Amino acid sequence: MDPHNPNPTPTDAPSPPAESAARLAALSLRGTRDLPPDFHTAEIHDLDDDDDDDDEGYLTAASRGGSSTSAWKEAPEGLHDDDKDGDDVSQPSPSSSGYAGERGSSLDDDPDPEPAQDWPRDKKHLHEDDASSSWRKRKKHFFILSNSGKPIYSRYGDEHKLAGFSATLQAIISFVENSGDHIKFVRAGKHQIVFLVKGPIYLVCISCTEESYEGLRGQLELMYGQLLLILTKSVNRCFEKNPRFDMATLLGGTDAVFQSLIHAFSWNPATFLHAYTCLPLAQSTRQAASAVLQDVADSGVLFVLLMCEHKVISLVGAQKATLHPDDILLLANFILSSESFRTSESFVPICLPRYNPMAYLHAYVHFFDEHTYVALLTTRSDAFYDLKDSRARIQNVLLKSNVLIEVQRSLHENALCVEDLPTDPSSQSASHPPESSRDMNSQSLSSEMAIGGPGGLWHFIYKSVYLDQFVSSEFPSPISNKKQQKRLYKAYQKLYASMHDKATGPHKTQYRRDEDYVLFCWITQDFELYAAFNPLADKTQAIKMCNRVCQWVRDLENEIFVYGESALSWQYHRCWGGI
Amino acid sequence: MGLSSAAAGDGTQLCVFDLRRGQQEGQELDKILFFHPADCPILLQLSVIGLCEGIVTFTRIFSPEEDCEVIESEKHSHVFYQAETDIWMVLVVEKNKENELAWRCNALHGILKEAHSLFAMFHGPIRTLLDRQPSAELARGHLRTFITDYLSDFNVGKKLQFPTYRDSLKERGTVQMLTVSREVALDVQSLTTVLGSCLGNVTCQSLVLFEDLLVSTTLPPDDTLNLYTYAVLRLTPRALYANASSWSYLRKGTSVSAGPTSSSSNGTTAGERPLLRDNLSKGKDGFVAADFAATEARGAVPLTPILWFQQAEERMYLCIYQHKSLTILLLVPASSLINGEEGIAHVKKQMLENASQKIVTVEQKLTRGWGGENAYHVSGYRYLLVDPERRISRASPPGKVTTLAKDSLLALNMLRQEVDLEKSRYKRGDPCHDKDFEACIRTKNNAWVIAKISRGRELYMALEKGGETLLYASTAVEKFSNRYCEGAFSTD
Repeated sequence: MDPHNPNPTPTDAPSPPAESAARLAALSLRGTRDLPPDFHTAEIHDLDDDDDDDDEGYLTAASRGGSSTSAWKEAPEGLHDDDKDGDDVSQPSPSSSGYAGERGSSLDDDPDPEPAQDWPRDKKHLHEDDASSSWRKRKKHFFILSNSGKPIYSRYGDEHKLAGFSATLQAIISFVENSGDHIKFVRAGKHQIVFLVKGPIYLVCISCTEESYEGLRGQLELMYGQLLLILTKSVNRCFEKNPRFDMATLLGGTDAVFQSLIHAFSWNPATFLHAYTCLPLAQSTRQAASAVLQDVADSGVLFVLLMCEHKVISLVGAQKATLHPDDILLLANFILSSESFRTSESFVPICLPRYNPMAYLHAYVHFFDEHTYVALLTTRSDAFYDLKDSRARIQNVLLKSNVLIEVQRSLHENALCVEDLPTDPSSQSASHPPESSRDMNSQSLSSEMAIGGPGGLWHFIYKSVYLDQFVSSEFPSPISNKKQQKRLYKAYQKLYASMHDKATGPHKTQYRRDEDYVLFCWITQDFELYAAFNPLADKTQAIKMCNRVCQWVRDLENEIFVYGESALSWQYHRCWGGI
Repeated sequence: MGLSSAAAGDGTQLCVFDLRRGQQEGQELDKILFFHPADCPILLQLSVIGLCEGIVTFTRIFSPEEDCEVIESEKHSHVFYQAETDIWMVLVVEKNKENELAWRCNALHGILKEAHSLFAMFHGPIRTLLDRQPSAELARGHLRTFITDYLSDFNVGKKLQFPTYRDSLKERGTVQMLTVSREVALDVQSLTTVLGSCLGNVTCQSLVLFEDLLVSTTLPPDDTLNLYTYAVLRLTPRALYANASSWSYLRKGTSVSAGPTSSSSNGTTAGERPLLRDNLSKGKDGFVAADFAATEARGAVPLTPILWFQQAEERMYLCIYQHKSLTILLLVPASSLINGEEGIAHVKKQMLENASQKIVTVEQKLTRGWGGENAYHVSGYRYLLVDPERRISRASPPGKVTTLAKDSLLALNMLRQEVDLEKSRYKRGDPCHDKDFEACIRTKNNAWVIAKISRGRELYMALEKGGETLLYASTAVEKFSNRYCEGAFSTD
């Protein structure tokens, strides 16, 4: 098959198995080895701030995600839900559909295939393997392998060169499995090896980042979820038919998706809070967006998400369908890590593992601007044109009601800053956007700016239990660099794990002080508050600040949270006790 | 094979293996120096050791400097301790619904460490035994009897029961001290001086215990700890008369007799089986020694055990003298005693002549000032204080700890587990610099569980009536610290 001229139909009629497999192999090869040049033009943001303080940069823009979609879209027989195979006959989409799988066809349109290097491969350090000392010293490894020991994914190094290592991991896991037990983790000094067995798929994390077992296991669960989002759980059938099945080829080109997820583990609290965050917006603006999304949902779309980067602007589900925060996280990660989604509208099969791990949904994705995009999810594989129309309707409304402009403004201005924490909670009107409070209090708090917010407050995360949403403040000057921020998130993760201990939790409150921070956690039926203070912060003051933060968030809740139809009628105001 | 199919009914396994042995294929059995239960099928033993060795090797890929500590699986915990270079001890405990969260890894680790320290005190390092006799029969023989006798203390019914969350206000590997008044301290010091001069020119070392508490020691901390641990296990009046209703800070009130072991009938002496409870008894002269009946029947004089003190780097004879609640452990340097048992007899005579009166006086004064088993109870508090540097701890009496709700103890156990990890993190980061840490948790049953590390000292606490707010709980800790810890854990 000519890699530069793939079949332009997003949902081709089922092919005979052999042909399908051959095509799959060809596509996979293309996905991993012969990337269309436009996939290489992605801007490289080398944040160099991930778990490894040494050479471990991260690329926010993915290149191979786009090509990969073709690889996994053309799933082998049995990978699609059987019932749906028959429906997969649809009208050919026009070439403008922008279906990710056909991005290769744009080769001729792209005059500048300049940076055609293997940049994602550079970040993988492909020259390394388990014999390299640099590989052994990496702070956090992730491996996915099959129960026959075949490597599927490795964060670092070339999977093929890690076959021996992968076999060792398999041997360890299987040894314990064969005795009717399941290995959870091994600890050696600061190193922890965490195992997760999901049917025929084994996931392993080897880390010396001193995160909790629960935290690392949660990350492996999300890795598995990301895998399901791309392949669905039906991939298990391939292993049933052939235990030596090589799954790595199916995932060819999705490295960037996993790299991006792994990066999220160190900056996105959604990865351990199991909640999503919203872009702060005036209530009326959000209502305008929600109204049109609801219209669209009523016309037979399962979920409509309007997002700005990882933040939700509005989301609507059909009837009783609810979206799990983890699914939102994984979907956003998938979309944001695949550069091809940004360049034109796309229609791709994806699976929402928490919604239904067995079946594909079809996602129509369109970016309105660099950051803002809409994802329309349906069960119908032939809905491309309908969704395209729906998108146009949404776009119209968003433009007319200035939602996109407000979104841009919010992105740059509307952050919650601890310096803005009102001194007197009653003076903060619920209708005021957060920035107004900054003016109000800037003078009285100027002396405290240098050390963060009042009472030594540095940062907080507030999670609304009923809404499955969280809001977190911006980082103040004392934790301005990425390394400090990562350290704080790890401290939060530990605090979260400690508070939510399976046997004894959830606890009600926790105060924790070490050389880096004073940390507070407060869990009630309604909310969870995580707050970080200067390590010298006074306990009494800190408690006061926690109460004030809660009041502040409550005052702003209409701007910082999304209320669905049902949630709007729900009385959010509950009793507020003290710590 | 199968980890879950352990031969023992309780699923507990304890093995000692040497990675330098049995490196040829087919000779793997040679690695095993000890395995409990002894009747565990060889294939299962090999399987357990195979997994352990595999994991030790595997973790070294990433962590060449730090040993593998634990394998946690759904049904088992494997706790590792590299007792000597390439000689590993692994304790495997089986989980069930009741005890799943019962253990704290460091508490189990402490058992292995204690077993090895005591073994080395009586028999010397395992490697030395292996070097002395490469066939390993000597090492295997000593390990078999010693660890079997040691494990007998954990026997409850037919099962081994290791410390659980209910013991989260105890700290193995520490000494419990008796607090004495200044006046008594002077008497004790005077007694120690007399004990030290029993041999004439060379100074003897000594430990003095009252009940299960240490009154004085002249040995360095590690050696003190080992000998104190042995004394509390076997030599103090409570340990010696195991059936007497007594108490201990270290152990639950009721002791269980070791019961006969496979090799207990071969006439071994205390020197060979120092942990065999039946062997020890107090003679008419006040000295505690091994199995008099057996030895007299053979017409031999009871042998005085020679112990190896690692920190003091010296082998010393151990003489045990008991007067009522007072136990005196006198240590005579082996190098200074040329004529063996005769010399010991002379030392004993000297001791009785010079120190008897002082012993009686000290015992009387200590008994008079002794507050009983609840002497260190602080009303409203359930606490554990640890000074890891000096290997000292003090805790609420066990009888008081049992009044805590299960949820409080479980939460405290979990918190201690977290603190254990933080402590090892600190140690790796900067071993010379003490780091302070504090955690205060309001549990779902409204108890406060608290951990505080300050200048290297540790305080763990459960308060079930600590008030509603964090500030109440903090004030309670502050009061305790000021009143009982000389402000060591106070904020200012």
